[in-house]
Amino acid sequence: MVSSIWTERYRPSTFSEIVGQDNSVKRVESLTNSMNIPHMLFAGPAGTGKSTLALIVVKELYKENWKENYLELNASDERGINVVREKVKNFARTKSIGNIPFKIIFLDEADALTPEAQQALRRTMENYSTTCRFILSCNYSSKIIDPIQSRCAIFKFKLLEKKDVEKVIVKIAEKEKLDIKPDAVEILYEGCEGDCRRCINILQSTASISPLISAELVATIISNTKPRDIKVVLDYALSGDFQSAKEKLLDIMLKESISGQDVIKAIQKEIWNLPVEPTIKVKLTEKTGETEFRIVEGSDPFIQLQSLLASFVLAGLGKE
Amino acid sequence: MTLTEKYRPKNLGEIKGQDEAVVKIKYFIKNFGKGKRAIILYGPPGTGKTSIACAAAKENDLEIFELNASDFRNKEKLSTILKPAVEQKSLEKKNKLILVDEVDGISELDYGGLPELIRIIDLTPYPMIITANDIWDKKFNLLRKKCELLQLKEISYNIIKTIISEISAIEGLSIDSDFITELSIKAKGDLRAAINDLQTLSRLKDYFSIILDERNKETDIFNSLRKVFKEKPTNEIMGIFDSVNMSIDDIMLWFEENIPAEYKGEELARAYDLLSKADIFKGRIYKQQYWRFLVYENIFLSYGIASAKKNSKTGFTSYKKPSRILQIWMNNQKTIQKKSICEKYSQYVHVSQKRAMNEFPIIKQIIKSNPNIQKELKLDEEEIEYAQL
Repeated sequence: MVSSIWTERYRPSTFSEIVGQDNSVKRVESLTNSMNIPHMLFAGPAGTGKSTLALIVVKELYKENWKENYLELNASDERGINVVREKVKNFARTKSIGNIPFKIIFLDEADALTPEAQQALRRTMENYSTTCRFILSCNYSSKIIDPIQSRCAIFKFKLLEKKDVEKVIVKIAEKEKLDIKPDAVEILYEGCEGDCRRCINILQSTASISPLISAELVATIISNTKPRDIKVVLDYALSGDFQSAKEKLLDIMLKESISGQDVIKAIQKEIWNLPVEPTIKVKLTEKTGETEFRIVEGSDPFIQLQSLLASFVLAGLGKE
Repeated sequence: MTLTEKYRPKNLGEIKGQDEAVVKIKYFIKNFGKGKRAIILYGPPGTGKTSIACAAAKENDLEIFELNASDFRNKEKLSTILKPAVEQKSLEKKNKLILVDEVDGISELDYGGLPELIRIIDLTPYPMIITANDIWDKKFNLLRKKCELLQLKEISYNIIKTIISEISAIEGLSIDSDFITELSIKAKGDLRAAINDLQTLSRLKDYFSIILDERNKETDIFNSLRKVFKEKPTNEIMGIFDSVNMSIDDIMLWFEENIPAEYKGEELARAYDLLSKADIFKGRIYKQQYWRFLVYENIFLSYGIASAKKNSKTGFTSYKKPSRILQIWMNNQKTIQKKSICEKYSQYVHVSQKRAMNEFPIIKQIIKSNPNIQKELKLDEEEIEYAQL
């Protein structure tokens, strides 16, 4: 069955279809062709093809039996390393089906595990090394402990370049009969920040409104995905309406389930767009930094953020 | 013997003000074995949870096997205490009723205690009664499913007054009826508090001179807020929370809610800065378990916030209850659908739920208008409805 979700429908199914990762893909392909793979570590940003490459390897090795021989886990969703170990144990207990003498376990976002949990994972990898191969994926290989790195062949994935993103967009546009304006491609590329999954999602999101993909429409979709209302919060505060600013802030934090630290990041960026004097911008930035520090040190981010908002109220009155 | 023990009801007929609960508990014991194996009696303190359990046992000639939360602080103790009671049925002549009192007193630290309790509910050959003040904590989700729930309401002022008058008459205390009325109102539905106050009074000759412990928490916190916000800071103000029957964390929420009602502009910024400092020390207490920092938290919250204003304030301000906790709870209810959609989506397209949650606005837009995707992800009606909002 062809999926209606484009990230699935257009997920590459052969090595050559993966864009922008020529080096890693070639090496993995030749390993796969030898019918024997080592443990592997795929390191790179989100949406650059790590899960996809793992799936291709598996399908290439096991053909129609791939589902029986493949276990996919996500370290950031499983509740602790013990759950991971238990699942690995159950999976590794039975022999692989077909000619290949091992099964494959894909552990996504392995860098979400603490160093202690990674130690436990290392033990697990050793215990089942005769029956299982591990493919770990992570955003930063530096967050993976050395003993695991030394047991894996490491493959780096990089952010997609504009030409790669374009290739993907053109292909989808053709198949889905979309009319994409050149400047829309530009915006798509900027909006997805080199993340192919995000790019396709934004594209499908836009196409669900109109098959005519204009730059404006893409920009609207992208702006809908950012905590845009932070500006509204700051506007309330600057105009002296503390109560509304406070309520709006809580509303955003709860609805979008974003953390205090994410809010601080957004505020820190937004300061430079505010209609206040440069000296006040600097003062507010200092306050913002102090607030970020206090969030780390204190217990209740929302209280700290309210304190920051009170400073914005003062700035709105032209005081420091 | 305390008066509360002495006048604890001997049978269910003596329980006053909880007629509905009495009917239900009778039914539960009579039909034990047919439905759920445990019942949770929950409600505010002093509404008769333990009394109902004891009376139900006496009336049905059951021996009470009582477990206070303080009796089992961990899994090991739970199983050693409970197992013999459950498994040695044939050795005892009398049937039993297992009472687990104040289950919400089992703190988070009691690792494994709760699962063990749940396991025992499945095994118990005797009816189990569990009491709690608050049973809606997330950690009790599973426990609630295993048990019948029975809510006890605050006891009405009239019933408290009747009971207090009766006890006072039997004990030969010549207490002014106005005072009994006042005492009954102040109890706020907590019968035990009322009886304890009566006992305190009975020991003192000149009872009109003593001021009863203020049970009305809100009056206390309102007074503290008023003093801190309106008056100039004094050294006395630092001890102001001693008389508030509320945790410092709750007090902080009250201040957070009400600072904007009193302070504006620079005073607002100063007050929040001090609240922020109080919170920093709270964070340090949690992280380092160094409780002396409480002193600073306390001072910033009282004297500190009082010092944020230039002049003392007059006039009446109506203070609001902290609303944030409720908002968080309501929001969690709302995002249940979002979470379950992300769970289905993330498994299907090989991403983590966390990332799906982060990118939900885009994903929602995709799902919203495409019935094929909704089918593919096996979304149920409620989830589809949520996606289309």
